Amino acid sequence: MNAIARFDLNNAATYPSRRVEAWKYSDLARILRETPKLSATTDIKGSGPFAALGGEVLSLANGHGSIDYSAADQVTVQVRLVSDAESTGHTARVSIKTQAGAKLLLLESHEGRGDYVAHNRIDIDVAAGAEVTRIVLIDEPELAVSVTEAEVNLAAGAKYRQTVLTTGARLQRFETRLAHHAHGADARMDGLYLLKGARHTDLTSVVDHLEAHGTTGQLTKGVARETSRGVFQGKIVVQRGADGTDARMAHNALIDGERAEIDAKPELIIYADEVQCAHGNTVGTLDEAALFYMQARGITAEEARALLTEAFLNEVVDRIEQDDVREVVTQWLTARL
Amino acid sequence: MVAVKETVDTVAELERYKYGFTSDVEQEFAPKGLNTDIVRFISEKKGEPEWMLEWRLAAYERWLAMEEPTWAAVKYDPVDYQDLYYYAAPKTKEGPKSLDEVDPELLEIYAKLGIPLKEQEVLAGVQGAPKVAVDAVFDSVSVVTTFKEELAKVGVIFMPISEALREYPDLVRKYLGTVVPVSDNYFAALNSAVFSDGSFVYIPPGVRCPMELSTYFRINASQTGQFERTLIIADKGSYVSYLEGCTAPMRDENQLHAAVVEIVALDDAEVKYSTVQNWYPGDAEGKGGIYNFVTKRADCRGDRSKVSWTQVETGSAVTWKYPSCILKGEESSGEFYSIAITNGHQQADTGTKMIHLGKNSKSRIIAKAVSAGKSDSTYRGLVSVHPKATGVRNFTQCDSLLIGKECGSHTIPYIEAKNGSAQMEHEATTTRLSEDQLFYAQQRGLSEEEAVALLVNGFVRDVLQELPMEFAVEAQKLVAISLEGSVG
Repeated sequence: MNAIARFDLNNAATYPSRRVEAWKYSDLARILRETPKLSATTDIKGSGPFAALGGEVLSLANGHGSIDYSAADQVTVQVRLVSDAESTGHTARVSIKTQAGAKLLLLESHEGRGDYVAHNRIDIDVAAGAEVTRIVLIDEPELAVSVTEAEVNLAAGAKYRQTVLTTGARLQRFETRLAHHAHGADARMDGLYLLKGARHTDLTSVVDHLEAHGTTGQLTKGVARETSRGVFQGKIVVQRGADGTDARMAHNALIDGERAEIDAKPELIIYADEVQCAHGNTVGTLDEAALFYMQARGITAEEARALLTEAFLNEVVDRIEQDDVREVVTQWLTARL
Repeated sequence: MVAVKETVDTVAELERYKYGFTSDVEQEFAPKGLNTDIVRFISEKKGEPEWMLEWRLAAYERWLAMEEPTWAAVKYDPVDYQDLYYYAAPKTKEGPKSLDEVDPELLEIYAKLGIPLKEQEVLAGVQGAPKVAVDAVFDSVSVVTTFKEELAKVGVIFMPISEALREYPDLVRKYLGTVVPVSDNYFAALNSAVFSDGSFVYIPPGVRCPMELSTYFRINASQTGQFERTLIIADKGSYVSYLEGCTAPMRDENQLHAAVVEIVALDDAEVKYSTVQNWYPGDAEGKGGIYNFVTKRADCRGDRSKVSWTQVETGSAVTWKYPSCILKGEESSGEFYSIAITNGHQQADTGTKMIHLGKNSKSRIIAKAVSAGKSDSTYRGLVSVHPKATGVRNFTQCDSLLIGKECGSHTIPYIEAKNGSAQMEHEATTTRLSEDQLFYAQQRGLSEEEAVALLVNGFVRDVLQELPMEFAVEAQKLVAISLEGSVG
């Protein structure tokens, strides 16, 4: 039962509304009533959030051109998806392949200005025994609309690590569909959202275990302030015969504002019996006792909230394995708290 | 080892489906099919007031305009709504005035099902043994309600809803359809148009119902749909515990059971609703069995009101139900304890909805699913917190156990928080029976089947504990019976 419709920016009839179950909490059709005009190209300014980490830089401006990259050895690649447009839309296409045994650090940034509509289609193939770490920093304006769809295919023994950090947009959807096509693949997909104003983000993932002995771990944490809305939808499917699967998913969210909203839908669809699967979901607010205690020690209420929020979110960042990457991501996050 | 002895005894009692007999009771039917004439026929048969007929006809109109929902994770042959009898009743001259006048054949059927319809039998039992008042619904009509007089002494009204419509029309009119509106969903609309009987319960303010109330549903006639309607009103500060049980004969055809249960709990009232569902699940090839499409909802209108649903779902070919609580009152609380066991080709899509509208309302959900054979089981639930509901607490736990390679188990929870002060926790796990535990139990001399029954009973214990004592024993046996033949 895969209700995810193929979204095509050039065809308004494919824009999903909340009547489509997989888009229940992100009503794209309501925000986007007609097909936007195609964005003109734009200049790419600055050097992106990952500049300090080096590696080859591949950029797309308003979706013009495409990225087709194949990694052989141990490499770092920066992919910059830059949008700068007023009321126009564009689709960016990125294809990343790895050769067997390759080790790729993929640093992806979504940078924007204006009230554009961006659609990103990203394909990632992780070959047998290869390893891909994908770090995504999304920094979009509050009037932008964006839909990112990534398809990740894992071969035997592949290792995949993904961490997404976002501050949302007017309506933002970040979807990852990952398939364990062969035995013994190992995936970790983490997410973090920090929302304020009337921003909206939707972190959706579908993990499909088609073969035996796959491992999936997911941790998503988020904070929704003011009138923002955070959405987490995580689906783990274990197909018949995918024995020995170990899949775990957690989503923990903080509501920090009277009118903020969190919607979560963690799903387990299991057809094999020799499995260990679990998900956990919590929604709560900052601990009043801790806030009081910190204020009693002379920390202002605002600082106390920021400290507690940072401590809450850091768990996701701490799971990034590369020290230098973790440092860049921590700075990025701290600047936005 | 008392526990082991019990398990061995339980397993020894295993039978395929011991309630699968049919009974030759002389019955009368309304003509097959559904149209306004049938709706009028049912209403007239029941001697209903005019407003009730209008209500039914309006529901029928709504139903015609609706489409059968398909979103549940269940597959079944479509129901031909024109090929069903909507009314089947044992033939009687006049409604029986007392137990003595009830057709002895019917009493025998209920005796065979283990349902005590004779008040004296219970009274003659052990001193202090708990009494249970029963409303027995046979196909489309209620055949007998016990302990009515004793209950009336404390002001409790417990009678078939058809009778309540005649005797307390204002009370029924005030509450009927206020929890599950006529157009709520396809099956609720159908039920509103053609329901023929069910129970009506009213507990007056401050009264703690002196005994357990229960309804026992029996489908007997073939090609018949059963549509019953239950309405329970717990007035301020009252308490009632209510149990529902059901069985049906073994037939090759699929029979439709589309019930509606409405519960209203006013200030400080508490209702405990327990279901042991044992409809015929179909044979080993998946042929026959009951389609159990039920709408159950409780409205916790009053402050500090509490409704607790406990269900043991072992029967039915297809189960599709979500007993829910609308938590409107401040500090109201809702609970849902569920065991869903599927085997053979059974499919169950069940769960709950907790809608938090009142301040400081609380809810707790414990759902245990056991899938064996080629069956599929889905937990689907919603917990939502509305913007004005501050201080809400929710805890949800869903555990699934898989036995065998061909079954499926799914968990689909929806969590919607629109208030910053809400605290919600959800956890779910899916595992298989532990090889180590099975091995250990077999080492101690249990057969594989006994070991499975023992482990499953342990797995579902949290929920069994919530059932009234007498029914917990029955439910425990059912758990063993349902899993028969699932290993090896």
